[in-house]
Amino acid sequence: MSAIRRAALALVLAGLAAAGVRFRRGGPVPLQQGGWRELSRPELK
Amino acid sequence: MRAVVVGAGAVGVRAARHLLFLGDVEALVVIDPRARRLEAVVESLGPPATAGTNAAGAFDGADVVVLCAPTGHQEAAESALERGASVVSVADDVATVRSLLSLDPEARERGRHVVVGAGFAPGLSCLLAAHAARSFEAVEEIHVAKVGTGGPACAQQHHRAVRGPAVESRGGVWQQRRGGSGRALIWFPDPICGVDCYRAALADPVLLALAFPGAERVSARVGASRRDRLTARLPMMRRPHPEGALGAIRVEVRGRQGVVHHDRVLGAVDRPAAAAGAVAAVAARWAVDGRLVRPGAAGLATLAEPGPFLAALAERGVKAAVFEGAGATSSTPVVTISEE
Repeated sequence: MSAIRRAALALVLAGLAAAGVRFRRGGPVPLQQGGWRELSRPELK
Repeated sequence: MRAVVVGAGAVGVRAARHLLFLGDVEALVVIDPRARRLEAVVESLGPPATAGTNAAGAFDGADVVVLCAPTGHQEAAESALERGASVVSVADDVATVRSLLSLDPEARERGRHVVVGAGFAPGLSCLLAAHAARSFEAVEEIHVAKVGTGGPACAQQHHRAVRGPAVESRGGVWQQRRGGSGRALIWFPDPICGVDCYRAALADPVLLALAFPGAERVSARVGASRRDRLTARLPMMRRPHPEGALGAIRVEVRGRQGVVHHDRVLGAVDRPAAAAGAVAAVAARWAVDGRLVRPGAAGLATLAEPGPFLAALAERGVKAAVFEGAGATSSTPVVTISEE
């Protein structure tokens, strides 16, 4: 019984650790200013 | 032009096809140890492409040798130089790039070119840096970031690169940093957008520091996932993919114009193997046509006029982009999250 409890505890702790790693950040924040545009031919002289 | 392409992988096939499109190719010999793959590639390319078996023999009479195989670049380059051919190498690991650069005296003596790192990054990254540098009187910093891989050899190199050590130039002194450290959120051109990038064993700083000896800092980072970083020190867990998805490069050059310090950010999005093939083919064409700046062994930032080269690449579908808009010149669109 004690082994089962220990295993369950280990699983819960592992799940919490994984969730912490997974949700630590919300992901990239989009750029607030500016943007990309293709270089035109005159710019490549 | 008589050309030899060594390696019929994701990059080699593209390089051979672009060479044929660029025209004026009398003979194109493709070499690869995989007989069935080689036969299929030569058949798809059509004349004047032929299959070669013996690399050393195939180099006889060649004007240029394009090295796209995963290994053996230095030996092949030495052999090609001995036979009077110029060399274009898509090698992207630090040791190979340094060994190819050591061929500079011999290449100069023979009046031939050894274009080192003529792929996606290094290669296209060096051209973008050189083009951005033209906006400045003095270049102070260059920071390259790339995401994505080409064929299986490129994926394996990415795996090794994340393991490190990363090389960075600071004030002309080479520093080694731990691979997988220095996380920075880098914003690439659409549709790649924001990717976490890390220090890695990348060859771009080696070539760019040579081209811009006055630059105070030259660094490179690569996009990597948590799994990439976690497994970098282990053998690859599964076979690398035949070819990766869309990749991107972002090059930030900081410098001085008069008394004003500002930066310029250029980038490109493409399949890395496709872009690398185009860069290698145009470099080979330019080497034969005498359009490179000087003989010797160096990267494209040293050997090529970046504007016309990027224009030639644009004709082959590889297009460069510039980041601009509010905040683009005074601050950078990079958000550094942590310095590990």
